[in-house]
Amino acid sequence: MDRRNFFKLVGTASGGAITGACGKQGQELIPLLVSQEAIVPGTESWHPSVCGHCSAGCGTILRVMEAEREIEVQGEKVRERIAAVKKIEGNPLDPVSGGRLCGRGQAAVQGLYHPDRVRGPLRNNSGQKGNFEEVTWTTALEEVAEALSEAIQRDPASVVYLAEPGTGTRAVVVKRFLEAIGANSATTIGLGDFAVERQAAQMLYGSASLPGYEIQNATNVFSIGADFLGGWISPVLYARRFGHFRRGRSGIRGQLIHAESRFSQTAWSADRWLPVAPGGEHALALGIGYLLTQGGLKKNNTVAKVHDFFSAVDFPRAVKESGLNESQLKIAAEHLATAEVPLVVSGASIVQPNSVDAVLTASSLNVLLGNIGEVGGVCIDAGIDTFEDARPHFANLDQRLKNAEVVILDRVNPIHNFPGTNALLEGKIVISFASVLDESAHRANFVLPDHDNLETSAVVVPAVSGHSAINGSRAFVKPLHDTRATEEVLIELATKLDRKIMDYSSVTAFKDFFKAHNFADSDTTEEEFVSLAERSGGSWKESKVETSKSYPSFLPDLGSVKNTGLRNKYPYQFQVYPSIQFGFGSDSHLPWLQQLPDPTSSSMWGFPLEVDPVLAKRLHVVNGDAVRVTSSSGSIEAVIYVHPAAIPNVVSMAAGQGHAEYGRYASGKGGNPFELLDDSCEEKTGVPALGATFVVIEKLDRHHGLLQFTNNDREILHERM
Amino acid sequence: MSMDLVQIETDSSRSDETNIPQWGMAIDLDRCSGCEACVIACHAENNIPLSDETAASEGRTNHWLRIDRYYEGEFPDIKVKFRPVMCQQCDDAPCEPVCPVYATYQNEEGLNVQVYNRCVGTRYCANNCPYTVRFFNWYDPVWPEDLNLQLNPDVSVRPGGVMEKCTFCVQRIQRGKREASADGNDIADGDIQPACVQSCPAEAMVFGDLTDKNSKVSQWSQSGRSEQLLDELGTKPRVFYLEKGD
Repeated sequence: MDRRNFFKLVGTASGGAITGACGKQGQELIPLLVSQEAIVPGTESWHPSVCGHCSAGCGTILRVMEAEREIEVQGEKVRERIAAVKKIEGNPLDPVSGGRLCGRGQAAVQGLYHPDRVRGPLRNNSGQKGNFEEVTWTTALEEVAEALSEAIQRDPASVVYLAEPGTGTRAVVVKRFLEAIGANSATTIGLGDFAVERQAAQMLYGSASLPGYEIQNATNVFSIGADFLGGWISPVLYARRFGHFRRGRSGIRGQLIHAESRFSQTAWSADRWLPVAPGGEHALALGIGYLLTQGGLKKNNTVAKVHDFFSAVDFPRAVKESGLNESQLKIAAEHLATAEVPLVVSGASIVQPNSVDAVLTASSLNVLLGNIGEVGGVCIDAGIDTFEDARPHFANLDQRLKNAEVVILDRVNPIHNFPGTNALLEGKIVISFASVLDESAHRANFVLPDHDNLETSAVVVPAVSGHSAINGSRAFVKPLHDTRATEEVLIELATKLDRKIMDYSSVTAFKDFFKAHNFADSDTTEEEFVSLAERSGGSWKESKVETSKSYPSFLPDLGSVKNTGLRNKYPYQFQVYPSIQFGFGSDSHLPWLQQLPDPTSSSMWGFPLEVDPVLAKRLHVVNGDAVRVTSSSGSIEAVIYVHPAAIPNVVSMAAGQGHAEYGRYASGKGGNPFELLDDSCEEKTGVPALGATFVVIEKLDRHHGLLQFTNNDREILHERM
Repeated sequence: MSMDLVQIETDSSRSDETNIPQWGMAIDLDRCSGCEACVIACHAENNIPLSDETAASEGRTNHWLRIDRYYEGEFPDIKVKFRPVMCQQCDDAPCEPVCPVYATYQNEEGLNVQVYNRCVGTRYCANNCPYTVRFFNWYDPVWPEDLNLQLNPDVSVRPGGVMEKCTFCVQRIQRGKREASADGNDIADGDIQPACVQSCPAEAMVFGDLTDKNSKVSQWSQSGRSEQLLDELGTKPRVFYLEKGD
């Protein structure tokens, strides 16, 4: 579906009808649910929705057609006609996806139809993990309300709500629920909220909204630590911008240098990759800043205090700590200094203890280059306060869990991502809203299964869009199972606890957006606005926020060199990175993604441990050999992949596998790299450091085998006649 | 079905006078980041059988579209070359003449067509394909309920014992032609997009009529960076790759 055709559908839908396949009249565009009578066999209809699989918040459209499903009615199996989602594509009107969509977003349809979905509420009073019995919603809600009531009477703070970061209608309802029962705000523990980048933005620009990088209009981009084409903030948006940057302008081919401690998706797409030492990103940014101040800048409107800071950098030390050599830094500095439109993209795809310092310093290079708010520079997105939710509180997670009596898990799996929480959940009443039983839900006392994203209405704010934007729409496919929207469950629980909270629907969200952005000044009425937003799948208004440009006078200098003292026992630095298939593990249950060959190693159904060729030789291992990886915190078995581009003595593993429980497609697939991470955290945010653990690797006496779709790493060149 | 099917003159320029489109694809490797959105789009569109670890370990996973990756150079001056590879829809396709039952042939629009209910599973075609883009169904496909609800009704589900491969999303081509015909319009460039092309975030892939000189695919295929995969074999592929670099 392209923009022109979708726009035609939206535009002609004001009468409630759209043109379907073969010129036939299709169904109404926005019925709340497509009723059985409204299904036209062989005819497709397209409905707007929003992807909830990462923080990007891409607007999507869903192809819906008739399907038949076997169900049991009074003991008899009968066929039911339903409106089924056949395909998910990007919404062509949405400025984030622009009609395109990543693999994870497209595979979301398998979440809806997953064979291992929880089909109704479950209770476990047996004391044995996973020993569930089916109960009715009435029973489940009464018992959960009773447990909550007892906990609240003793101490409302003993109710701990763990959630993924939320900036949408759901977050508002969660917030209202927790306020109503007097509990603390939700502890958001999703790793994909980019707390490091938000903290750096707060310090530099005075706003925790994630800045947008106008890569598409830059000529020379230097990215430090931000795998913007991979598992970073908004991969579809940045891939679209990258395509334009490369070949979308006549006579201009954008040049990209990328610095990261791993040969990531952005690294391999770059013209040059700088293999910066893990944790050396801050030093690299300082070194580049120093060179820029020494070599003369094209623009003279740079901020004096930032200029002064960089010109005083201890350059030799910066070079040394970056793990690179002077000539590599000079190439990068020249790349920026000579550019028509230079841009530095900074992030922490692999969080290190000093990542906020690194991102803040690298972002300050843009101040030095004078491109904040400029075309091809940094755009400070207009956040929408209405939906702002509590941001990650990693730092006090352990303490809160220790004091908890009831723990509510909302789309998070702490036992997988933070294995240490397993012990902390002992003795607590755990309530999960999981759709598929993961490790944490398996441990729960009650499972109150949520609708799938595609069965519920939602409005979210995209992490980055370049617009004031909200994406979303109402639900339109009938829930397959006896599930309930978590918002609905929270409202009912509040009622049972004699608290009254209001729902926050997508319609209300659109109305609030209408008011917040002064659309009332135009000829459009609120009703027309909401109607169009629902048909279009969102609303988007171009806007930029003027920054105060009162940049901090102090930027973090290199701290003292830390000696972990672990190097003798654990000689190799270990990194976990978000995979393009599963992110941090929430999509591992989807079979399309499991069988998708990993772009690095071509492995399927499991992620290997990536080691460099020299280390592999020293360990006497080849592809497929089994090894034991041990850190001061844990130990896992892994399969070796000898990565031609791995940094010597830095070993990496993608996140997402190693689930003990997560449905038939994800359970028992390799080791969980999170079990190896020690308690290192990013110093200013408390976000777990993904790249600061040291390990030892021991070869095991067997060849486990590496399942690869193609096992040639190098092109085989045949001599031809 | 007659022998004529395999004797059609396959020069793509032949249709200039007949106004029959000649479909082709071009992929700009300078834009491609190897994200594999196209691979999932292909699975979602074409009812490609699900595999499992056992099938994968036996080399029996089907991906009509794969991303080849080749490392070049040594650390730290190392690069990797990604290349989405699907059926190249060759004008002189090596897979066609070896099929004993004429289950694969080139149609008048230049598509290398696979007739599933003709195929008897000799696998000669796969053996003879230099691009290794043909896949044999070793098993009857299984979609545990409710995954079957996602199946695309526009695409047939292939049983075990049958060869399959990329069709350039022929169902989308047929739909595009029907819709244009119903509206009384010609097919505009970009109106028909295979699922992979439609999904690509970096807009690295274009599809269209090679006989339309103004189509993107024609223009991209004429680029100085344009190459065809293993063109020295004389297969005349209809997929053009725009190499990286200035």
